[in-house]
Amino acid sequence: MTTPRGPQPFAGQEKRLRLLAFVRQDSIVRVDKRVEDTAMVWPHLLVIEFIAAMLWSIGLFVIAAAFNAPLQDHASPDCTPNPSKAPWYLLNLQELLLHMDKGLAGVVVPTIWLTFMAAIPYIDRSREGVGIWFTSPNGLRVTIFAAVFATVGTFSLILLDAFLKAHGYIEFATEHFPGGKQLLPNYLIPIGVMLGLSFLLVLIVQRLYAANTREWMMAIFTGFVAVYVVLTVVGTSLRGPGMDLFAPWAVPATHQCLEPSK
Amino acid sequence: MLEIPSLIWQKTKTSYIWRSLFRHGYPDSRKNQSLAVFTNVFLHLHPVKVRRHALAIPYTWCMGGLSFFLFLILTLTGTLLMFYYHPSVDGVYNAYTDIKDLETVVVFGQLLRNMHRWAAHGMVITVFLHMVRVFYTGSYKPPREFNWVIGTLLFFFTILLSYTGYLLPWDQLSFWAVTVGYEIARATPAIGDEFAFIFFGGFQLGPNALLRFYVLHVVGLPLTVGFLIAIHFWRIRKDGGITGPL
Ligand code: HEM
Repeated sequence: MTTPRGPQPFAGQEKRLRLLAFVRQDSIVRVDKRVEDTAMVWPHLLVIEFIAAMLWSIGLFVIAAAFNAPLQDHASPDCTPNPSKAPWYLLNLQELLLHMDKGLAGVVVPTIWLTFMAAIPYIDRSREGVGIWFTSPNGLRVTIFAAVFATVGTFSLILLDAFLKAHGYIEFATEHFPGGKQLLPNYLIPIGVMLGLSFLLVLIVQRLYAANTREWMMAIFTGFVAVYVVLTVVGTSLRGPGMDLFAPWAVPATHQCLEPSK
Repeated sequence: MLEIPSLIWQKTKTSYIWRSLFRHGYPDSRKNQSLAVFTNVFLHLHPVKVRRHALAIPYTWCMGGLSFFLFLILTLTGTLLMFYYHPSVDGVYNAYTDIKDLETVVVFGQLLRNMHRWAAHGMVITVFLHMVRVFYTGSYKPPREFNWVIGTLLFFFTILLSYTGYLLPWDQLSFWAVTVGYEIARATPAIGDEFAFIFFGGFQLGPNALLRFYVLHVVGLPLTVGFLIAIHFWRIRKDGGITGPL
């Protein structure tokens, strides 16, 4: 038996190579093949990470040295602050539940939203525009339109709700709506408004910008981000005692203890 | 005289112990740079090379990396905080006085608490911005669909982590903020009462709720998020690194 020329595999290595040949590389690692312009991780990426970590550590130290985390009196179930607010990142939900049924605003809407979010890649399955901010100039236009649409829409709806409630909307609904102040004002109208405006947004961008799936998806996602931000801002800085609306500079201080209701 | 430091360095580098630690020379050649990355358990999260494009800060905003960084900071400061905290409502050692002690008695306790607090708020923001970046760059598209799903879970659990931590000082602010969430949980259609009972340990925000939130906050949720991050990073590698223009 003649041994082949050149470097010999270690004992056992030959076998391992053969095993790998069964599994097509494609089936483990799914890579979009492209022309590579690469850089070594050490040093190029690690330097960036190191500097970022240093700057952020310093920044965090400075912030932590300058601002103290709040601590109020010992919790007491008998003394309700007015208003009681959730942490700011949940104030969007708390704001939403002023306008509809609690379970709808606090549980159903976020659950549906998260499920929809997770489903985004399975609805928009195009590969168009991967790695490009806003996919295309048209995508950017759609995004800007949706941001304005949702911001203005949300603010208007909040103001409209405040206006109607100040003018006896609840009393009117209790007397004249089928199902009283529950069915329509707390369920059907809010659901209709949320779904209706979402569909309207998609329809408009399809008409106005000939939006494809990726683009109307951007419109919906932008709408979500805008609504989320607006609700957070309103809930955080425009709501005072009784969760009433105030101008941001005129929000009264929180009453630390609500008078027990008579 | 002057050659002593370099002699010591030479000796160290060739010593038995050093060579048992590092299996490559100083990373100043391609070979050693590659070895430095893939023989190190921490660095090997990275590939040896990345696309130049992936280094661009205007592209990623570094937000995923920063979320991870804040997660590490939170783990570190949180573990230190655990040394000073008893998850109990009253008694000699209780949550509220522990936090007060952190602010007044423990050396650097206030700084520690502040860092944990602001990093937690920061992480909610960076995770959100990361999600926004991933969306607008279309980085959820094939083959990265599932990593986006992992991402949405991470978003949810990050908020839940923040929320469970919020109760722990057991002051008026935390108590009533969590009460808002409690009322929402009870309003869940059909299973509201059961859900609130399991999650808050009763029909009142009391010692059970504090204990449950504590356990979730220091064990359950960090582990969950840790695992999800591991999968997230693994999948980034398996999906061919982060996206870039085709
Ligand atoms: C604890 C939270 C999270 C951490 C620590 C994290 C970390 C990271 C890191 C370090 C990257 C590499 C690129 C970059 O920095 O942008 C990345 C990419 C990615 N993340 Fe996250 N992430 C988190 C949450 C999320 C969320 C909420 C989503 C989406 C819903 C998400 C979806 C993705 C996707 C799809 C990629 C691949 C992006 C690409 O290929 O360009 N991640 N993540």
